[in-house]
Amino acid sequence: MIVEYESKDTPVHSLDPRAKIVWLLAVVLISVIWSDPVYLAGLAATVVVFGAVAGFPWGKLKGLAAFLIVVTAVITLAQGVTYTPAVAHLSAPGRVLFHLIPSWVPGVGPALPVRLGGFLYGIGMTFKVFTVLVAVAVLGYVASPSEIVQLIARVPRMPYQVGFIVSTAWKFVPVIQLQIRSLMDAHKSRGVELERGSFTERLRKTSRVVSPLFANALFMADTLALAMESRAFGSSRRFTFLRPYRFKPLDYVVTLVCLGAAAASIVGLAVRRLGAL
Amino acid sequence: MHRSLEAGLPSQASAVDEEVFHLADDAISLRNVRFRHKGSGRWALDGVSMDVAKGECIAVLGPTGSGKSTLCGVMNGTVPLFLEGDLQGDVTVDGMVPARTGTAKMAAHVGLVFGDPDMQLFGMTVEEDVAFGPANLGLDYHTIMERVRKSLIDMRLAGFERRPPYRLSGGEKQATAIAGVYAMLPDVMVLDEPTSMLDPQGKARVFSIIRRLKEDLGATVILVEQEVDDVLQLADRVFVMNAGKFIMQGTPREVFGRVAEVTAAGVRVPHVVEFGTLLGATRVPFTLDEAVQFVESGAWRTSDGTARTARACSGGLGCRAAGYEGSPVSRAASRQHEPGDVIIEVKGLEHRYPQGALALRGVDLTVTQGDFVAIIGQNGAGKTTLTRHLNGLLKPTAGDVRVGGKSIRDMTAAQLSRTVGYVFQNPDEQLFCNSVEEELRFGPGNVGIAGEKLDRKVEEILKDIGLARYREVWPKYLTKGERQRLALASVVAMDPAVLIVDEPTTGLDWLESLQIMDYLRSLHDDHGKTVLIITHDMNIVSLYARRVVVMAGGRVAGDGSPREVFSNPQLMAMANLKPPAIAELSTRLCGRVALTPEEAVDMLVQADAAGEGLR
Repeated sequence: MIVEYESKDTPVHSLDPRAKIVWLLAVVLISVIWSDPVYLAGLAATVVVFGAVAGFPWGKLKGLAAFLIVVTAVITLAQGVTYTPAVAHLSAPGRVLFHLIPSWVPGVGPALPVRLGGFLYGIGMTFKVFTVLVAVAVLGYVASPSEIVQLIARVPRMPYQVGFIVSTAWKFVPVIQLQIRSLMDAHKSRGVELERGSFTERLRKTSRVVSPLFANALFMADTLALAMESRAFGSSRRFTFLRPYRFKPLDYVVTLVCLGAAAASIVGLAVRRLGAL
Repeated sequence: MHRSLEAGLPSQASAVDEEVFHLADDAISLRNVRFRHKGSGRWALDGVSMDVAKGECIAVLGPTGSGKSTLCGVMNGTVPLFLEGDLQGDVTVDGMVPARTGTAKMAAHVGLVFGDPDMQLFGMTVEEDVAFGPANLGLDYHTIMERVRKSLIDMRLAGFERRPPYRLSGGEKQATAIAGVYAMLPDVMVLDEPTSMLDPQGKARVFSIIRRLKEDLGATVILVEQEVDDVLQLADRVFVMNAGKFIMQGTPREVFGRVAEVTAAGVRVPHVVEFGTLLGATRVPFTLDEAVQFVESGAWRTSDGTARTARACSGGLGCRAAGYEGSPVSRAASRQHEPGDVIIEVKGLEHRYPQGALALRGVDLTVTQGDFVAIIGQNGAGKTTLTRHLNGLLKPTAGDVRVGGKSIRDMTAAQLSRTVGYVFQNPDEQLFCNSVEEELRFGPGNVGIAGEKLDRKVEEILKDIGLARYREVWPKYLTKGERQRLALASVVAMDPAVLIVDEPTTGLDWLESLQIMDYLRSLHDDHGKTVLIITHDMNIVSLYARRVVVMAGGRVAGDGSPREVFSNPQLMAMANLKPPAIAELSTRLCGRVALTPEEAVDMLVQADAAGEGLR
């Protein structure tokens, strides 16, 4: 889920890129090890707060929200029907909440029982998906690709040009998306029914876009290289980064809290089974 | 050289290894320079020599393929280091030899700006982008930020620092690209068709920046352009190129005093200049005021009081000399067609994009068979959104569009392509086959045209668009003008009744523009096609359209003949458009709108003969 970076004056935007990466890694790690929906809901809430402080444009996640509703329903019901955790801090994880096919369906119902343990596990899984997707989107919104360049370039013995290749590839994702749409429109305008036919047929028709897309991308890469060299790219071994690479007090706070929370959740899970269903 | 930026900043000389040959007064010196691309037998530059003094503004004009971009590349070393080939002769820029110094190191001395702004912006914000060049030079943080700050002020971009470049208008993007080059303090700024992809507002912005670079900041500027109207008032000297050679050079007045030669070289002559020439002006006018003064002086009358004009105008000056067979008279003939039945009917059309923007706000429009319509308006006025409904690429949010009496709501774009052909602005997004001939066969094959009928059609079209000898060639190898014609022909091959062409002349030189527009005219006149073009070029509108639809703010703001639309200053101002210079001039002189210089001369002569006097 890519939400384009926006330059803003929020505390989250002004964090050091390393602190932002530590935050994302901590969120992903914790969401992986926890399975209790209550704990995961709390984690999701912290991600939402983090995004809110950054002024994240939630409207851009409309598409994601629609996707999540479907995923939530499918995961929750599928887990409820198929899975009952063997070990759970629940009095009766196998208790049937309801049946997917109710008793009033003649001949079949009741069938496919949804059990408490599996149902809660499914909700936990949904929170995991939500948390990670939103955290990645928030990071994309608050971390400039040039910060990523800087991070890569700071790796010992890494030429700064490598970071630029990564950042340029990132920046041109929307351009390529736009080109795909234009090429598909051009195909439709020349009589190709892209929306009709079997899946294989549609795939075959759509694959025609690949060759011109590739040719255009090569041409674009050539032009980009020329334009970058015309702006002195590679003329000096030194590149001056615009953002001072220095931890401020807030960076220390965020980094320590994130590392602390990740460590605490590992220890808490191992010792007291905190966060486990 | 840049007075504003230089003050108080450390020299960058230490940051770059320089190969200094001599401290010349000339910023650029070329001596008998020849270049041919690797594997090519043709010289792209063929014995070119020029000296450019520091602070001079040089305009290089000429048709596509004449060697202008190669000339630019020679100045910063991309030719022959990037575009490989055989380079001969002496090239010295700012005391260095670019081919030996290398493009990246020359960048501190020669700033090169390209036509497509999207391909030269690298930052996620305007500030980052402008800092990219200085940062590559390894300058310290504070020097970079000071240069960025001053560059943005000088390029009128103050306040844009945090804006993402992709959200800027075309003119703002190009201004950012120029600022990025300018922040590196090059002694020479080379601008290779910097306005070719821009709308009129964007062009005006870029030209005002170039004027500032020249007049206020003292930069040496090499400007390659097709927009001659602005060049005339900017350049100290003009070089006209053709087939890799400088075929004319001198001050703008010296060069454009030889109108027939300029046109023969494939360069468009501004209508005001052509008007003055038709009236026999010895000192051709460059501006409306100069043209009015000339007319008021009476110097265009002979001793017996009649007009001096020799009526060379009836064929269009220079077009025939250039080997171009069309003429303004034949172009005007396309306006004589009588309208037929309604083929497109748009009622209360609204369109809201998924992101929420309301692009069309209740459009009503009727197009009849045989119409030749130009849809004009500023970027964002709703032109493309409207036309994309006509072939089903977009569906109405409210209202309806009927093509041939049927609503498009239940039809796919592929079904509509049989009736409405759509040609996109960028031919590279429309051409996807492996050869020119395959490209022409692709569309018809999808709509069931095959066999001998298709063979005949392909042969006919190949001949019409002048690409028969390239039938086996990969379309990417064609020139922009040829690709544009092929994109149009690939749609024409499907034989739709309606042709919609989005910006048919953007990025083309004048002769290429005339070629593609004449092809459209022949499709209209000889094959009865209904033609709709979206364009920013008012000269094209005045020459070809029989009807003009003006769009503003997602609505149809005006609809009428070119003469009606251009004579409505309130409408033009409201749509933020400017009529062609000749329409303004004839209105000032005779109180009526002329669409061509010839017509303006006729009006003037008739008014004079009738003793009506000037307005």
